[in-house]
Amino acid sequence: MNTSIKKSLALVLPLSMLGLSCSKNNTDNNSNNSTLKTEVLANIATNVCTASYEDMYAKALELQTAVTTLIATPTDANLATAQAKWRAMRVTWEQSEAWLFGPVESEDIDPRIDTWPVDFNSLNDILSSSNKLDEAFIDNLADNDIQNALKGFHPIEYLLWGQNGAKKAADLKPRETEYLTGLTQNLVKLSKEARDQWTGGYKDQLTKAGNGSTEFATQQLAYIQIADAMAGIAEEVSGSKMLEPFEAKNPALEESPFAKNSIADFTNNIQGILAIYQGNFIVDGKGIEDVVRANNLSLDAEIKSKHAAAIAALKAIDKPFGEAIISEPAKVQNAIDKVGELATVIDEKLKPFLTQYTK
Amino acid sequence: MNMRKTTIAVLFILATMVALQVACRKADSISPDDNPDNEWLSGGSQTAFDQGSGAFSHAFSSLPANLLRVHEIGDGQFNATFVSAPAPLNPGLGPIFNNVSCGSCHVSDGRGKVPGLGESAANMLFRLSIPGEGEHGNPVPVPGYGDQLQTRALLNTQREGDVLITYTDNTYKFADGTSYSLRTPTYTFTALYTTMPGNVMLSPRVAAPVFGLGLLEAISDADILAGTDPDDKDGDGISGKANMVWDVLKNKKVLGRFGWKANQPNLLQQVGAAYNGDIGITNMLFPKESSEGQTQFDSDPNSTSYELTDSLLYSVQFYVRTLAVPVRRNATAANVVQGKSLFTSAGCIKCHKADVRTGVDVSLPQVSNQLIHPYTDLLLHDLGAGLADNRPDFLASGTEWRTAPLWGIGLTQKVNGHTNFLHDGRARNLMEAIMWHGGEALSAKNKVNNMSKTERDALIAFVESL
Repeated sequence: MNTSIKKSLALVLPLSMLGLSCSKNNTDNNSNNSTLKTEVLANIATNVCTASYEDMYAKALELQTAVTTLIATPTDANLATAQAKWRAMRVTWEQSEAWLFGPVESEDIDPRIDTWPVDFNSLNDILSSSNKLDEAFIDNLADNDIQNALKGFHPIEYLLWGQNGAKKAADLKPRETEYLTGLTQNLVKLSKEARDQWTGGYKDQLTKAGNGSTEFATQQLAYIQIADAMAGIAEEVSGSKMLEPFEAKNPALEESPFAKNSIADFTNNIQGILAIYQGNFIVDGKGIEDVVRANNLSLDAEIKSKHAAAIAALKAIDKPFGEAIISEPAKVQNAIDKVGELATVIDEKLKPFLTQYTK
Repeated sequence: MNMRKTTIAVLFILATMVALQVACRKADSISPDDNPDNEWLSGGSQTAFDQGSGAFSHAFSSLPANLLRVHEIGDGQFNATFVSAPAPLNPGLGPIFNNVSCGSCHVSDGRGKVPGLGESAANMLFRLSIPGEGEHGNPVPVPGYGDQLQTRALLNTQREGDVLITYTDNTYKFADGTSYSLRTPTYTFTALYTTMPGNVMLSPRVAAPVFGLGLLEAISDADILAGTDPDDKDGDGISGKANMVWDVLKNKKVLGRFGWKANQPNLLQQVGAAYNGDIGITNMLFPKESSEGQTQFDSDPNSTSYELTDSLLYSVQFYVRTLAVPVRRNATAANVVQGKSLFTSAGCIKCHKADVRTGVDVSLPQVSNQLIHPYTDLLLHDLGAGLADNRPDFLASGTEWRTAPLWGIGLTQKVNGHTNFLHDGRARNLMEAIMWHGGEALSAKNKVNNMSKTERDALIAFVESL
């Protein structure tokens, strides 16, 4: 997702936070807790973030296989498989947006994977042109004066589903399949790049925060970065991805309009928040919750409760997002509100907690 | 904000700063009585407590819900990717452009990065003109190109051209014998779609950070003008000059304060001009495509409509107007304090002024009456031939530049992943940026040249703390 919103909610904290002062329980000098904080960062770096990019890379390869099969044997069943593989890869990517810091941002991977909207006219021009539509062409697209709106998830979505979402295997034209091949190859390459950046150094940068890391001079900076990313995606879903199409009552503004995958995307964004909070992406390990629970059980309960409410509100929307904004406005508004509340508890309670208890 | 709320907010701010910065050590030089005028709070009450990669992207802290919503809308627009028309979402890109969204150049609301060798610039653009002055004292556009080189175009449309950047390194020595190097860029046009006149003047301009601009806009004209001394009547070697530029709405010359040469008078015009020139999105202030009259032009010349609605233009203006300034880091560390004193004794502070109080704006109380620390006087200064672009811009001569704000500069690496400074990003770190200063700043630069290594390190530590 190329848009990013970091909304800073009010910095006026409840009066209780005034109790913060130097002489009280400002930083936790308990050595057990210090080990815990290091373990949490290590687990998050390895088993959440890096693991997610490994998973995404694997799923990109599966998508590529499915597309190759589809092109060799264009049946509707194979199209359905390719579509399913696209959705599966989206699950991982959207979850990983809860930790959208590091290489996917700094190496410009996010804009090359997830820019939207698709530039239809340019896409059609490319398909009608005589350019060889291989991966090299696509990778260079920014230099060839076309932008990221022609690569990544959404052009693939457009080619697999068509503008109205009703594409049949027989509708696939030769130029489209050529472009699709190049696009999936490029997507594989970008996923590998994200994975390699983490395994090749960023994982260590996060793990060694406060202990030699050049990215994170203190553990606290790492924790705050994570909390910011968690709050950031919730704010983006609530305040932009859902709110803007909803307020405009315009389905054309939704993020994954061809596959009608937007609700799944939003839900996975919020799922990702819990994954990094609990340190549980595929394998369950130490997470932020362990740091919170060491000193404030009720905050932990509150975060989980707000999270569950947000997920429930999203799951209650039983139509595709484009339809729901017209026919189920109360449910959409409720989801926007509940996701917003989750953003608030992270920004206004989790962040100050981490500021107080990490160093 | 009444006094009680101020006290509470202050105590919170100080408590947080203490927790953030000082572990369990009491910071003696920060006292609860210092309130929002404290030097840690570069943006006064509109300071954001974030040192992470999102440090430049926080809204003002005290916006009411309805204005926060406008900020969010503007934020979405700032990052919206434009595509070619017709399209259901964000149509109107081009036909010629530099990039597809505000955020593509002003990445994370921060500073553009210089392209690598052989790469096309993604976060910087090139101003063009031919000698002379236009109708309003403006730079004369280049026939066939206008006042900006658009290096990208829609498919099946020809871009105006591109620029190849090469560097020459030269090594120098500080007084203590330590060497340093400076790289001088050379710009060569490539892939030009039509003849470029031989007397063209080119000025490279890196995308500037967009936070804190509402606060800068709120400084009164009088306060900026009070700092001018174009004939150096006080004999201190500094001759700050105001740029008087054309305001397209007011239809007259007014004080300029935004842009590398202070050529834009206010945020609305800066935003509108950027939409038009950089993305090809026409708007109420600039309703004509920059390509009109050129072969790339693909619209109806008689059309009176434009591509960006007024409300969205205003929302983006409001967005940049209400981006907060990141808090200082390590302001009380011994080396930073020493560096601040050196910054003053070397004379840097004469142009990079630390303190200014914004005026009162009843329409937006959040920007009013804030003691801010932008480290700029917003005036033009001659920085010498070495750093010149040799392209006058209204009253700015070919060797003059607006004092760049230094607030937030220490977070450039964190937010934008690089440390390219100065108008063309030639400086690869802060010390190089300092050593490029000539002209009015020569004496200050020489003082830095004569510093010991400890002093130089302290000076840099201070600038990085901003």
